[in-house]
Amino acid sequence: MLAGDPVASKRSLHIESSGQLCIYCGACVGICPLNCIYLDETRITFDEKVCTRCDVCVKACPVGAIEIG
Amino acid sequence: MPDLKTDVLVIGAGPAGSMSAKWAAKHGARVLMLEKRQEIGSPVRCGEGMSKDWLKDVGITPGRWINLEVEGARIYSPSEKVFEINEKHAGNEVGYVVERDEFDKQLAIDAANAGVEVKLKTAAVGILKENGRVVGAKVKEFGQTYEIRAPITIGADGFESQVGRWAGIPTNIAMRDMDTCLQYRMTNVDSDVRYCDFYLGKVAPGGYVWVFPKGDGLANVGIGVQVSQVKSPADARTYLDRWIDHHPGYAKGKKIDMVGGGVSISAPLKQTVADGILLVGDAARMIDPLTGGGIANGCIAGKIAGTVAAEAAHAGDPSSAFLQKYEKGWRARLEEKLYRNWLAKEKLVTLSDETFDKVVDVLSGVTLEKLSVHNILKAVRDKYPEVTKEFEAFL
Repeated sequence: MLAGDPVASKRSLHIESSGQLCIYCGACVGICPLNCIYLDETRITFDEKVCTRCDVCVKACPVGAIEIG
Repeated sequence: MPDLKTDVLVIGAGPAGSMSAKWAAKHGARVLMLEKRQEIGSPVRCGEGMSKDWLKDVGITPGRWINLEVEGARIYSPSEKVFEINEKHAGNEVGYVVERDEFDKQLAIDAANAGVEVKLKTAAVGILKENGRVVGAKVKEFGQTYEIRAPITIGADGFESQVGRWAGIPTNIAMRDMDTCLQYRMTNVDSDVRYCDFYLGKVAPGGYVWVFPKGDGLANVGIGVQVSQVKSPADARTYLDRWIDHHPGYAKGKKIDMVGGGVSISAPLKQTVADGILLVGDAARMIDPLTGGGIANGCIAGKIAGTVAAEAAHAGDPSSAFLQKYEKGWRARLEEKLYRNWLAKEKLVTLSDETFDKVVDVLSGVTLEKLSVHNILKAVRDKYPEVTKEFEAFL
């Protein structure tokens, strides 16, 4: 489950945290199996190198602020 | 900023953190509690329903944080048959609807009055380790980074907990063990101030829709959806909006606030302590997996955590062997029920709308003295034996 999928990992993850969608609830931070999403009060960032684009955070986000393309 | 020293360092000033801090201070420890936000209790991330039978035990007195007292809960099946649970046998999450920001502030005030030092706008950005033992945290206060050293660190940093992970305590949860939640505060709705309402079935796959009345036409209307059952992004919002659209008493309402978040609905963690550190509350995945309620368990465990942390500091023994007293203490109080409710949840999330309708249909027609999984299943078996077939293990 935790292993990165080399094909999937070529895709890009986008977290919309400028405030238009994100409500800074931390759901993505809590579920990330690799602990690579960080929540500041009004900013969410993630570690590109660690993230495998597994899409768990996409599902956990209640408002659809995370996309994998 | 010079580095600081204390006996017990509590990271996070939610209910579990404040309770831990207060009880550690009451037992004579020097305690420092950190809150990353500028205001304790805000923004609220909660449905604001809680039971009340546990409050006295942990030393919380009713105050102005109580919004209103409800008489019971109503469980709605997918075809909206209703089963009413009164507060006597509901036990768990029904009792008060609260102002969570006021509640959190009151617990922090209680902690401060017991001697706890509180630091706002101060986030833990890492933990300090020596010879494999946690000896405090690296923190950032108003942008300035420094170290706080303490023999005991308590991780009370909520669902998105980092402290446990930094310490090497496995706190990861699977998608089926988490609900993604969204809630609106709505005005001009037809909620009944006597009840907290819960709507089960495909309106909220693997979770439920809740309505907690706040009085004067106000209510918290929210949803939890099991992450493993999410089909497309923002399902929590889609399902909640759909539910509201289909309920005229709510569709006419107006949204004035929105909160979201993750709720763990997992079995208890195998480990909540390590050398120099213990985890408490949502950070320790102590949320009741059936109801999604976490305040009571966080506070109950917090009292034990604070007490044991102070004892460890006095004894000069922060080893995980000493901290087992906390591990055993909270498990004795909470683990059996957490595990039982996790099993029940695992079963519930597999039920079809038809089965939910049958179960609620039976329950609406019988009087159960004590509400337990066992009693419910026995009543259902009398009318729909085919439904209980797969639950034989519980009977």
